[in-house]
Amino acid sequence: MLLELNDYVGDMKRCARCSICKWPPLAVMKSWRFSQNCPSIARYNFYAYSGGGRMALGLALAEGKLDDVTDELLNIVYRCTACGACDSSCKYNSELEVLWSIYSTRAHLVSMGNFLPEHFMIIESLRKEDNTLMQPKADRAKWAEGLNIRDLSQGGQAEVIYHAGCLYCYDPDLSSIARDAVTLLKQAGIDLGIMGSNEACCGSMAFQLGFQGEFIKFAESNIDDWNAAGAKRVVTSCACGFGIMKAVYPLLGKEMKFEVLHITQILDELIKEGKLQLSKSIPTRVTYHDPCNLGRNSEEYVPWKGVEKKVLGQFILREPEKVVHRGWEGVYEPPRDIIRRVPGIELVEMERIREYSWCCGAGSGVKLSMDDFALWTASERIKEAESVAAEAIVTACPWCERNFKDAIAQSGDHLMVYDVVELVKQAL
Amino acid sequence: MSLDKKVYKSFESVVGPENISDAPAVLRSYMYQPFGNNKGVWADISPEAVLMPASTEEVVAIAKICNRHHIVFKAMSTGWGIHNLPGVEGAVLMDLRRMNRILEIDEKNMFAVVEPHVICMQLQVEAMKKGLNCHIIGAGSNTSVLASATSVAGYGPDGLSMGHSGRNLLGVEWVLPTGEVLKLGSLGADAGWFCGDGPGPSMRGIMRGWEGAWGGLGVFTKCAVKLFHWNGPSELEMKNAPPNYVLKEPLQFFKASLFSFPSLDQLAEAAYKLGESEIGYFICRLTPAFVGLQMTSGKNYVDMWQSGMMQQVLKYGFLFVIFANSEREFDYQQKVLAQILEETGGQASPISETKEMQEQIATTVLKVDAVVRSCFRSAGGFNTSFGAMDTVDLAINQIKAGAGLKEKYIKRGVIMDDGGDNSATLLFEQGHLAYTEVLVMYDHHDGESAQGAFEYLAESNEICLKQGLGPPIFQISQVGMGKHGVFGPVCFNYDAWLREIKKELDPNNVCDPTAYISPEERERE
Repeated sequence: MLLELNDYVGDMKRCARCSICKWPPLAVMKSWRFSQNCPSIARYNFYAYSGGGRMALGLALAEGKLDDVTDELLNIVYRCTACGACDSSCKYNSELEVLWSIYSTRAHLVSMGNFLPEHFMIIESLRKEDNTLMQPKADRAKWAEGLNIRDLSQGGQAEVIYHAGCLYCYDPDLSSIARDAVTLLKQAGIDLGIMGSNEACCGSMAFQLGFQGEFIKFAESNIDDWNAAGAKRVVTSCACGFGIMKAVYPLLGKEMKFEVLHITQILDELIKEGKLQLSKSIPTRVTYHDPCNLGRNSEEYVPWKGVEKKVLGQFILREPEKVVHRGWEGVYEPPRDIIRRVPGIELVEMERIREYSWCCGAGSGVKLSMDDFALWTASERIKEAESVAAEAIVTACPWCERNFKDAIAQSGDHLMVYDVVELVKQAL
Repeated sequence: MSLDKKVYKSFESVVGPENISDAPAVLRSYMYQPFGNNKGVWADISPEAVLMPASTEEVVAIAKICNRHHIVFKAMSTGWGIHNLPGVEGAVLMDLRRMNRILEIDEKNMFAVVEPHVICMQLQVEAMKKGLNCHIIGAGSNTSVLASATSVAGYGPDGLSMGHSGRNLLGVEWVLPTGEVLKLGSLGADAGWFCGDGPGPSMRGIMRGWEGAWGGLGVFTKCAVKLFHWNGPSELEMKNAPPNYVLKEPLQFFKASLFSFPSLDQLAEAAYKLGESEIGYFICRLTPAFVGLQMTSGKNYVDMWQSGMMQQVLKYGFLFVIFANSEREFDYQQKVLAQILEETGGQASPISETKEMQEQIATTVLKVDAVVRSCFRSAGGFNTSFGAMDTVDLAINQIKAGAGLKEKYIKRGVIMDDGGDNSATLLFEQGHLAYTEVLVMYDHHDGESAQGAFEYLAESNEICLKQGLGPPIFQISQVGMGKHGVFGPVCFNYDAWLREIKKELDPNNVCDPTAYISPEERERE
């Protein structure tokens, strides 16, 4: 299995409890108002809701220091979007695996039969319908009707496979973005196909919630299908899908004969090659929201396996040297480059960006199971966007977009929400 | 033992059901406290409940309920260290996280009014927007401004130019253990926050004295602290990738240098002269191990250490930073510094002269954001030893004693080999005061190492007693009676005064005395 709680005991018991996980890296903090980085501790306040607090609970579980798995414990463990901000901040000074300790704690609980009923429904939907949204599998390809795109479920091969992801397939407000993406790729002359009704969930939510068996099943099946379809590239518009395919799929040890790209990477490439030309002006002041799984959580994860040696007395030396994932290698520039190339657009940055971006609030099943927390988190980001006088917030993930739109509808704010793909389509 | 349901309901009616918990998972997370813990990472004693008040009124109400029902309470701000937890059974913990506002930055009178959970970095970024800066304690900018000002220690290397937290304290709002609210300084005379010692009551000595009451005398709910002139931009932009964020643009009239001296005595002489000359922004005793761990980690660090390069170029060193207001002042300070170095045999280390190191040092000095790297990352367990707020001479004597003693434990292999002399901080208030801490790193999960480290700490205290080196302020594993009970009898029985203060202000002894002092007679403890 990928997630074993005992593999992270060494990290969990070396947390200094310095609270740096609760803030953006201190050197890049810019104001009191936007000085928090973790939605969970910001919303719920008790220490248990921080990265450090969650490591303490993971350690307590590993050491048998919590007698019962209570509803309160499960709520603490899952009132977290697994955005990884705690992890990036911790690694500014230490080299502890905060996020993977959180994943492993969840997997440990699930392995003992402990999970939230709402999450079980998500997993049941996965098992029965191959998606997290309790929608019929047969409807998966409806979003692409009329696009005249090669459906690989009927056989055949394509150089590039477009993976829409669950939310784009089933959310009627968002599926036009997947349609736009496919239209743009075709327009640029890409040899493109989709898996049609055979497309299945990427498994990211199962992984993040701790259901490893389901994750592995979906991930392996996807890799097999894409290999069989002769794909050289798999392109997805879903940041969550991209993050899991980049960071975790390689750990399964299966040969991946394809490169994984996010839609913003390939569009950026096509625009720079002149295959897509943005000519229409969109005179708007926008800000860009970095989706966590396109940014800091998309670095290929290399779990450390080795021995800890004592040298210089008590200096703990890891052999082999640990690969430290600091979030810097995420996809940050392609979406920004695209936005900058749209005529008339002014891109302004918020305070918390890139590897220390504030989460939209939707991740890790939170949108589906704790919508109040998801909306609160989004509303904080909307206020941050408004603080830089942006007229629109642009993102590159359906979950971010869905959640921002819902939060704006709830609050009555006037901020517009766009996907990068929508801007490109409008600007052509 | 758990809280009586009626009492729990009383607390709940004060803070609301969302802000109180006695759930085992919540309590267990608070028990994770490695810093200062003499074995592993878990505290032995759990609070019965955690409460999160949002206002002074709520703190008052909680304190009154505690007095009524004889329940011990303890308050914490950011909560770093085992002294933040109640040390007795049946107590409640007040986590002041929701009291997190900067209430005012008075640009003209150069002070800020803060609540307990405002951290130094939050205050600094807001102060800089108004051309001001704040003192940041050596533990880092992730710590509470108020806690170090009212309750615990308060030293940091920028103290050369910006004092120390206890001295920077102005008006204070203090909820006494009884639940009464006491306003100190000008605040007590309804004259605002600008002064700590009048026209209203000044109780600075009773409130915190030399090192603070470590949460044993009630709850400080608001305080004003001095701010200082800031000559840099209103926002410090960073470049590069983590973990090496550095200033995007160099600061004008700013120069950081590592200096080394032929001996500790010559280093001391230079420190005295620098203090007398009243130049400099920041000074910190820095050792090869500390600097090396700032720069790198893992095998790179071990290789660097084993090459002996750092030990050679940084033996008996300190970091000194000039940050002047004008070119003329910058030139003047550089000339004075050069003269002092010439007189004392100090030499600039070439490693600090590169562009990269200038950028890194400038960022670390201004932001004080990387202490964990040097203290906790290498072995996990960390503590400090020696360290009294006194003179440069005393600090140097402590460093010598600490280095000598540590050699023994390094040879035993129970603590990390950091060369023995691994001490931090130095001058404050342009040389009026000096302070050091002799750092020790060990593996707190390794029984032999943890035991060895605590033997070292105990022996360091004995040396302090025998050689008259003063009580170690920040050896947090020995706060409270571990220290006052030992040092009181040889230091004019100062502990008797602490007991009287505690008895007077906390007649029901409901504010956890563990990290401060019990009102009981010494013999009975």
